Amino acid sequence: MNVKKLAELSILTGIALIIFVVELQIPNPFPIPGIKLGLANIITVYALYHYRAKEVMTMVFIRIFLASVLGGNMMAFIYSFFGSVFCLTGMLLLKRFIDEKHLWIASVFGAVLHNMGQITAAIFIMGTGVIVYLPFLLVSGCIAGAFTGWIAQIAVHRIKGNDAKQK
Amino acid sequence: MKNKVLIGICIAIFLIGVIGSALVLFAPHGTKVNIVQDGAVLYTFDLSVTEDQTLEIEYNGRTNIVQIENGKIRVVEADCPDKTCIRMGWLETGSLPIVCLPNHLSIEFADEREDLDAVIK
Repeated sequence: MNVKKLAELSILTGIALIIFVVELQIPNPFPIPGIKLGLANIITVYALYHYRAKEVMTMVFIRIFLASVLGGNMMAFIYSFFGSVFCLTGMLLLKRFIDEKHLWIASVFGAVLHNMGQITAAIFIMGTGVIVYLPFLLVSGCIAGAFTGWIAQIAVHRIKGNDAKQK
Repeated sequence: MKNKVLIGICIAIFLIGVIGSALVLFAPHGTKVNIVQDGAVLYTFDLSVTEDQTLEIEYNGRTNIVQIENGKIRVVEADCPDKTCIRMGWLETGSLPIVCLPNHLSIEFADEREDLDAVIK
C-alpha cells in the first residue's frame, strides 16, 4: 500500500467518523434498535468502487471500532461487526454485477445485509425472540440504503467532475 | 436487464419487510409477559393479575428499572447509553418486544414467543 493510498484511506475513515458523530446527534424517530440512516456508509459504498477489497475491509473495521469507542457503546461494536461482515461480503460479490451508475442498488443490498448481520448477532446474544425485528429492519434498510447509495452516487459524480477539471 | 432483476429483488425485499412488519404489529397477544436476559427467562408475569410494582434488573453493574402499572409494562429507567428501551414505551403492540441491547434485556409477550419458536423450528 503506497503512501498516497494510505493517506486517502485515512481521510475517508476520518470523514466517515465525522459523519457518524454528526449522525449521533440527530434524534432517531423510530424507537427500534438497529434502525438508523447509516450515513457513514456513503463512504463505504464510495470506497468499495474505488479501492481494493482488502483496503475497504481494513477501513471499515477500523471505522466501526473507532465509532464504537466514540459512541461510548462497545456492545454496538459486536452488532456493527457482524453487520459489516455480511454487508461487505455481499457488496463485494454484487460489485461484479452492478456498475457504478447503479451504485444505489448495491447500497440497498448492502444495507439489508447489514441489518441481517445485526439480527444474527442479536439472535446469538439475546435469543431467537428478536427475529421479529427483521421485517422492520428490512424496510428501514431498503429506504436508508437507497438514500445513502443515492448520495454516494452524487458524490462519485461530483468527484469525477472535479478530477476532470483539474486535468 | 440485470439491473431490472436486481431492482425487482430490492422491491421484493421491501414488500416482504412491509408485510412482515404489519403481521408483527397486528399479531394478537395474551397477557403473559416474560422478562428475558441473555436468552434466559428471569421473570414471568400475567399482567392481568399482577399488582403495580417496579423491578430492578441488573446486568454487569448496570440496571434497568421496569415498571408494571394498570396491566401494562415498560422500562422507566436504564443506565445504558442509548435509552431505546425507555423510548419504546409501554409493551403493547403485538409481538414486538422491548429490547435493551446494551444490557441484554428483553421484555416480551410469552405466548407470542412460543408461536414464533414453533414457526422457526
